[in-house]
This record gives sequence, C-alpha cells and structure tokens, in this order.
Amino acid sequence: MIGLRRVAVKGRSMEPALRAGDWIVVSGFRRRPRVGEVVLVRDPRDPEHLMLKRVAGVADGVCTVLGDRPEESTDSRVFGPIPLPDVLGRAVFRYGPVGRIGWIW
Amino acid sequence: MFLTRLLQPPVTASAHCDLPCGVYDPEQARIEAESCYKIIEKYNASNDEQFKTRAIVIKEERAELAKHHIDVLWSDYFKPEHVQKYPEITELCWKAAKQCSKVKGSLDIAEAKTLLDMIDKIADVWTKAGGPQATRVAKAAAARA
Repeated sequence: MIGLRRVAVKGRSMEPALRAGDWIVVSGFRRRPRVGEVVLVRDPRDPEHLMLKRVAGVADGVCTVLGDRPEESTDSRVFGPIPLPDVLGRAVFRYGPVGRIGWIW
Repeated sequence: MFLTRLLQPPVTASAHCDLPCGVYDPEQARIEAESCYKIIEKYNASNDEQFKTRAIVIKEERAELAKHHIDVLWSDYFKPEHVQKYPEITELCWKAAKQCSKVKGSLDIAEAKTLLDMIDKIADVWTKAGGPQATRVAKAAAARA
C-alpha cells in the first residue's frame, strides 16, 4: 500500500500551483521522482522541517528541487540536492479550500 | 466545525520564502537590552517631560526588538541537538522573552539588569554550542588591530 498523507501549505514559493492555506494529499513514492513533479521533502538542514518544491533533476540517489518562484524560495540553490530517502512523496490532490479542489500539476 | 477539524492536515510543509542567512548572535539582543538599561538611567536623571516621554516610547521599541532577537535565536538557531545537550536553553529563552515584556512596561532599572543577565546566560550556551564559529563571519585581522 502507498502511504497517503494530508499536508497544509504555508509560504509562497510554489505559487500559483500551491498557495498558502491549501490542504493537499501527498502520496508516497513507489518509483523514482520525475522532473516536474511537486514533491514533499525533508529539509536537509533540519529534518523536522518539511518543504514542498518542484523536481528539477534526478541523479544518482539524489534529487534537485526548486521553488516555482525563485525569488521567494529557499531550495537546492541554497542547500544542494536532497537524498532520495528524504523525498517523501508527490503532491497529487488539493482538497481545500473548496474553490481550489483539484489535481496538482 | 467538527468536519473542518477532521479534514485539517496534521502537518504543515513550507513552500517557503525565507532565506536563512545563518548569522545568529545573542549580542544583537544584548545591544537592544543595553539600550533599555541606559534609557531607564537617563529617564530617571531627567526633569524634561518631553524627553521622558520620548524615552518611554523608544525603550518600548528596544524591548520589543530584544524580544524579537531572542525569539529568532530560539526558533531559528537552537536545534534539537542543542536542546538535548543544553536542556536549560528552552527555559532561558522563554524567561528572557518574558523579561523583555517586563522591561517594556517598567522603568525599574533592576528589571533591565535582570534581562541583561538572562541574555548573558543564553550567550554562554550559544558559545558552548559553537555559535561564534558556526554563525559569525570572521573579522579580518587588520580590522581588529
């Protein structure tokens, strides 16, 4: 079974795909992440801190992630690539707020 | 209401906009607290009502800034491994932040002195935790001479 988890979004680095206050469903990976997917990752500087970013590249065991709004994002440009075990899942569906319910691209 | 609470996600993830510069030093809070201390001194020595009013306004600002800097140390700098090694840091930061509120509303110089001592205790932990090397940019030898 693949793990599903519900996550609330804060911050503006993924606008307009994700907005602060969005409630989303994140699905665990059974395969390697692909470029372009929005993923939930652990901050390599602080394992308690979870972040949502877009995959920019996948290489040997690591994944480079970037925010959609680079000027408002702290991402692989700052902390480097993320080990694949710290890429926890893919953002698939937004279930709140009601007006924004839908799949995440 | 019940449904909202049921649906509410248990975790939050940042699509974040901060850029942590990584510079943290309790000295920043201390300078603001020193301002409070000196302002209270000057307030008590003055007979000028206008000056005294300004002194109160500025002291309240400085106390708020000291509180902000302590809060940044606590929430951004100190990590779980620091707390494990120096468990007293949680209470030190918490009490110092509360002391800032006291200094904000008081003209008692003893309260300002207490705040300085509390910040110095936080600075001791910061130094023991390797803060000076980990967070500050070294000054050039020539600039120090």
